Amino acid sequence: MTQSGEPVIGVASLCKCYGDIKAVDGISFEVAPGEVFGMLGPNGAGKTTTIEILEGLREPDSGTVTVFGMDVAKHAPSIKQRIGVQLQTVSLYPRLTVTELLDLFGSFYAHSVPTRQLIDAVDLGERAKARSMNLSGGQQQRLSIALALVNDPELIFLDEPTTGLDPQARRSLWELVKGLQAKGKSIMLTTHYMEEAAELCDRVAIMDHGRILEMGTVPELIGRRFKERAVFFDANPKLPAGQLGKLVGVTRAAVEDGQTVLYSLDIAGTIGAFLALADSLSVEPGNLGIRQATLEDVFLDLTGRALRD
Amino acid sequence: MRTLLGLTVANIKSLTRDRAALFWTFFFPVMFVFLFGWIFGGNGDSKVAIGVVDQDGTPVSVGLEQAFSQVSLLKVNTGSLDAEKAAMQHGDISAIVVIPKGTGSATAGSPVSIQLYVDPSNSQVSQVVEQITAQIASGFNLQLAGGTAVVGVQKVTLQSTNLSNVAYLVPSILAMALMQLGVFAAIPLVQQREKGILKRIGATPLARWKLVGSNVLMRLLVAIVDAVVILGIGLVVFNVQIVGSVLAVAGLVLLGAGAFLAIGFMLAAFLKTEEQATGVVQIVQLPMMFLSGIFFSFDFLPGFLQTVARFMPLTYLGDALRQVMVNGTQVAPLGVDIAILTGWLVVCLAIAARSFRWE
Repeated sequence: MTQSGEPVIGVASLCKCYGDIKAVDGISFEVAPGEVFGMLGPNGAGKTTTIEILEGLREPDSGTVTVFGMDVAKHAPSIKQRIGVQLQTVSLYPRLTVTELLDLFGSFYAHSVPTRQLIDAVDLGERAKARSMNLSGGQQQRLSIALALVNDPELIFLDEPTTGLDPQARRSLWELVKGLQAKGKSIMLTTHYMEEAAELCDRVAIMDHGRILEMGTVPELIGRRFKERAVFFDANPKLPAGQLGKLVGVTRAAVEDGQTVLYSLDIAGTIGAFLALADSLSVEPGNLGIRQATLEDVFLDLTGRALRD
Repeated sequence: MRTLLGLTVANIKSLTRDRAALFWTFFFPVMFVFLFGWIFGGNGDSKVAIGVVDQDGTPVSVGLEQAFSQVSLLKVNTGSLDAEKAAMQHGDISAIVVIPKGTGSATAGSPVSIQLYVDPSNSQVSQVVEQITAQIASGFNLQLAGGTAVVGVQKVTLQSTNLSNVAYLVPSILAMALMQLGVFAAIPLVQQREKGILKRIGATPLARWKLVGSNVLMRLLVAIVDAVVILGIGLVVFNVQIVGSVLAVAGLVLLGAGAFLAIGFMLAAFLKTEEQATGVVQIVQLPMMFLSGIFFSFDFLPGFLQTVARFMPLTYLGDALRQVMVNGTQVAPLGVDIAILTGWLVVCLAIAARSFRWE
């Protein structure tokens, strides 16, 4: 869903080291206007460092970084007028109320959205007079997003917006992000939740150890590595793997966690052949199902380890 | 300008909604003024209560009794000897003067003695009462003998030499409050950095000098409020007048607050966690509080502590405020006080500006 027009973010050969640790190791990517671009990776992958360099909070060691076509190092003040920022784990002036904080942050910008409108946009109407220290985790995160929207930004950075939230609060935040996307905002977010990347992002970059391992739409990323889909059922000695491997479309048969898994390029043909075989042997296959590879599988395949460990 | 004021208001709200911070910035110094004001009670006001027992009942003995009553330092209570003894044992009075029977008819041939009951454990009060009694007695002797005193004593007071304890304490406590106000500024700064507030604001177009400026502005406003409250209590409750120029006092309040703020900012530049900040701030402020001549004169300190105190900026702020406010005796000339405070301000601010980290 990449749109035409000059990219809102352009990163080329970006490097950033902390001492001997290469936090960001020569990454390049672009984000198009109106696109939701996600960086997916485990903690310590270099996502936050990248996003904070784009926000003008850190200086890159080398590489070029542009936002709205302007060099971030040279034009930080005018870029900051047009971006919205939500940082990971920030508790704002704890003793100011939601309204006071939004008014205050609004005053930092040349143009700002009326506070009432922001409060409604993130559904904090009932907590408008509450001090930020008394908000729940989900409410604080919504406030933090409202603060990122205070200048009606064209580009919004969300750094792990749903980390630590319960599933319900996460869902409501996703709806909020989708609403922003529908309004044509460009969004760059980081996350270590695959579902979140799959749900929200037009394109995803998978990052680990400071490098981008793979980049593209979610179906692209999965299709590039996993052309097969899988049929799985409870392993049964009456259904020998050797025979199953020769069924139509099957590229590989394996036993994983007590289940037989048949990877297939022709899932319909394989299922038909498999059911016929099971019938001829009078076997009722238990817990039969089909699955497609997920981002988690892509990540596992890329790095040899799970995303959340 | 709008942003600077907005941030200043935000800082003030953060302070006034924080009970611990409120306590240290306002109630602690006010408490000190009252506490020490009452304890030391001012030389002028605190009277020595004594009992006078008139066993004679003649015009002479009544005259004697009146003579005691007229001594401004004494608060005279009259009654029977037994009643006064009981009062002394209760601690209500510090001494008893007994004018014995026959005082009125005493002559050179048959003298009488005024009896004085004193408490030897309270030697200061005993001596004062003894001297007063001796003076009154000799005055009466002269009068009775028809003689005239050849040598009299006329008392002349100079405020600088007769500085009451409270007059000494009010400017000192003001100096202490300004010191705490400035040094304690390190804590919220470290807090805001630790919580990422400084970083979050760094992602907005707000100029950093405004962030610092709003902090300075807020603290200076609080300094003025502190000064008005402390000087107001000093004036209304303890009758400590500002002898010198009010403008000079205001200038010193701002300079002092500025110097200690610079120290607070410098501390904030080097401290990483809130716990560290709260600890180090106490390590910095407590010795200053006790050694800088705030609660007792600098001269009473032993030599090496005087040397230590000569390095402390609070010594000079207290000294300058006492000189301007109540004509206090000087530790250093006013110009030196101001120069040293300015030096602390400039040096600490430069260090803070070089070393401060926003995250």
